[in-house]
Amino acid sequence: MTTRMKGYLKTIAVLLIVISNLSGFAQEDNIQLWEKANAFYTTEEYQQAAGLYEEILATGYESSKLYFNLGNAYYKMGDINMALLNFERAKVLDPNNKDIDFNLQLANQFVVTSIEPLPLPFFLRWRTNVINMYSSDTWSYISIAAFVIFLILTGLFIFSKIVSVRRISFLAGIIIVIFSGFTFSFASKQKKKIVERNSAIVFCPRVTVKSSPSQTGTDLFLIYEGLKVEITDSVNTWKEIKLADGNEGWLPDSCIVKI
Amino acid sequence: MIKNLFTYIILFLTAISADAAQTKLTMTAPSAVEVGQQFRLSFTINEKGSNLILPPGIENNFDVLMGPSTSQSFSMSTINGKTTQEATYGYTYILRAKKEGTFELRPASIRVDGNVFESNSLKIQVVTAQSRPAQPQSGGSAGNSQQNQGSTQNIDLGSDNLFVRVEMSKRNAYKGEQIIATVKLYVNPNIPIAGFDEVNLPTYEGFYTQDVDIPQQVNFEREVYDNKIYQVGILKKTILFPQQNGKITIEPFNMSLLVQQQVKQRSFFDDFFNSFRTVRASITSKQVTVNVKNLPTAPANFMGGVGNFNIASTISSEDVTTNDAVTLKVTINGTGNIRLIKTPELELPTDFEVYDPKTTDNVRATGNGVSGSKTIEYLFQPRFEGDYTIPSIPFTYFNPANGRYETKSTQPYTLRVVKGEGDQTATVVGGRRKQDVQLLGQDVRFIKQGDPGLKIAGSTFFGTPLFYLLYLGSALAFVILFFVYRKKAKENANLALVRNKKANKVAKRRLKAAAGFMKQNNNEAFHESILKAFEGYLSDKLGIPTADLNRERAISELEKASVKKETIDDYQSVVEQCEYARYAPSGGSEARSELYGKAEKTMGLMEKQIKR
Repeated sequence: MTTRMKGYLKTIAVLLIVISNLSGFAQEDNIQLWEKANAFYTTEEYQQAAGLYEEILATGYESSKLYFNLGNAYYKMGDINMALLNFERAKVLDPNNKDIDFNLQLANQFVVTSIEPLPLPFFLRWRTNVINMYSSDTWSYISIAAFVIFLILTGLFIFSKIVSVRRISFLAGIIIVIFSGFTFSFASKQKKKIVERNSAIVFCPRVTVKSSPSQTGTDLFLIYEGLKVEITDSVNTWKEIKLADGNEGWLPDSCIVKI
Repeated sequence: MIKNLFTYIILFLTAISADAAQTKLTMTAPSAVEVGQQFRLSFTINEKGSNLILPPGIENNFDVLMGPSTSQSFSMSTINGKTTQEATYGYTYILRAKKEGTFELRPASIRVDGNVFESNSLKIQVVTAQSRPAQPQSGGSAGNSQQNQGSTQNIDLGSDNLFVRVEMSKRNAYKGEQIIATVKLYVNPNIPIAGFDEVNLPTYEGFYTQDVDIPQQVNFEREVYDNKIYQVGILKKTILFPQQNGKITIEPFNMSLLVQQQVKQRSFFDDFFNSFRTVRASITSKQVTVNVKNLPTAPANFMGGVGNFNIASTISSEDVTTNDAVTLKVTINGTGNIRLIKTPELELPTDFEVYDPKTTDNVRATGNGVSGSKTIEYLFQPRFEGDYTIPSIPFTYFNPANGRYETKSTQPYTLRVVKGEGDQTATVVGGRRKQDVQLLGQDVRFIKQGDPGLKIAGSTFFGTPLFYLLYLGSALAFVILFFVYRKKAKENANLALVRNKKANKVAKRRLKAAAGFMKQNNNEAFHESILKAFEGYLSDKLGIPTADLNRERAISELEKASVKKETIDDYQSVVEQCEYARYAPSGGSEARSELYGKAEKTMGLMEKQIKR
């Protein structure tokens, strides 16, 4: 038993080391850029700061803090659209951060279109709130931990001779395995948000949303820059979008930037 | 000499030009006469002429009773030191019509200074001789007439001699098409009208009306109506726009006129003082109906205009900055019901600030109808930069001349809007202003410092091989542990073996100290420790405190715990041997080894046999 187990543990350890090494690779330069950019921001040279942040992004790395700072720099430069975009991106990576929420709300006050979001049933609202409590990674760890606890409880149930221990471990085991399943799905949801990126910010100062993916479609409604929309479909250079108040329509994809 | 010549030439030229400009022969005559009635045919000219030739063929229809009688008049006026002279020469003939009909008098001609001038031509309508209107009798009240100068009498002169009627330019019209209505008073030329007493002009119900300005003074002209000659005065001229379909009736209206009437002479003196008196004549018009046709089904952008129109537009500027006011001026002009035209809708991009259009009507009502223009000013402000198209405005009206709808459009404009400088606060739409106040002193939270926590973009722990491996690994570890544990449990199932093994183990552990002393050849300590081992073992096993434990008690307890007799005997012998050997040094190491083996075996058996 022990030799095999040891073998697995070894593989896991190696994998962990490899991954941490990968992310540590070329980090030196980025950290330097990061420090420099923060310094520029502090001395109110927002243009330079934003440039450096963008440089870090160009190396293929990201983090919620990076997006947050970049959003701040754009906000200070007066580019509300870019600020909104980056705050939203930061929020995807770190969904339950008060600072991000605050800045996002501030930037949203410049958005002309006011949207009354559709009221959601309370359980969906709770679910969204719960899912947004942690990022995908945190949920993953929680799910794995819950799974391990479940295994331990199963063992207790099988091998314990004391009846009360068996009863408790049985009930707790069922609860914890369900919990593990839920957290797994939460982690998957959060990951989907990062990978699919089906939200976007409108960048055109004003754009008419059409009923069909063509210039000749009926004008449905007008939206203004800075609005967050959900992308539901795509045809050629047209995207079908859905607003928070449930309105749907098509607009050219040159007008929006994915979060 | 040359100077003089010039003066002459100038004088000569002015004389000629004066001649050319002013010499004109005018012929006038009443437009309608009765057969056998005498009338005047007059000619006027402003130069002395000779050899006036009457219109050729005049003898066929008219008798020339007298003429020409000539007259002259001079006038001289000085205005601002400039003196002008005017002379008028008149020639008058008295004619009498021979027969009925309408006759044209061809131009007459006259010779002035060797040049022949021609007059205008005239039309004269000749009707049959009319009966004189019966001079109404003053009746029994004649005696009072002199005393009652102020109060007049009502009389009836007969509807042939005095009547009023509404003349309509059209009896059939489209809805909204203009009709010229003229109220005319017809008076027999022999009835002297003194004045109007009470005039109730018609109200045109069912029409939108517009009055035409006519002179305040009523001018009477001769006109033939129903083959009779009347003096006709126009009382009112109105332009009507029918507002409803079907037959519209203009209700009769009445008016009173003051007529001078000759009073029968009763005495010689009457003739001198008061041979005429004034009476009141009431007349009522006949009702007139107009047939109004509805318009054909109107197209979408029909604005209610009936007539003939043109549309034009101008824009204040096509290149503007945001929040500049732009004016689009649309002018509709033509003839028709301009005032009733609705303001055409201007379709602007929805986010423009649009103000109510301003309309100004400039309408003139003339004898030919209403014409003029309607100016509409659309004022709007683009809020956002970009290129916008201001579409053409289609204007559809109904043309009654051909009975069809016609559409005319303004031109479309392209508006190029660029962002204005520093108008950020002005651009704010609606609720933003409130939020701006709220925003005072607010700012974004400061940037994050320290470790940025950079990761490869899009990478998450979830879904990585490691992630699944952790599940799989823990599950696998569990399975392995499970099997290992099960194997152990199986071994437990073999009770005898386990017990044996266990008993030996317990005995060995207890006798461990004794074994140590046996190796050291420490005789006393060896036996002592064996005794202690048994003592401890039994105390633990049987639950007797060490202080209460003696051999008898131990044996009885062992018997109670159903330990076999042989084992108890063995125990007894081991204890006896030990106690004995403690004080009497015995054999050697063999004996000790044997004793140890026996003690171990006995304890093992006890362990097995003691029931809990």
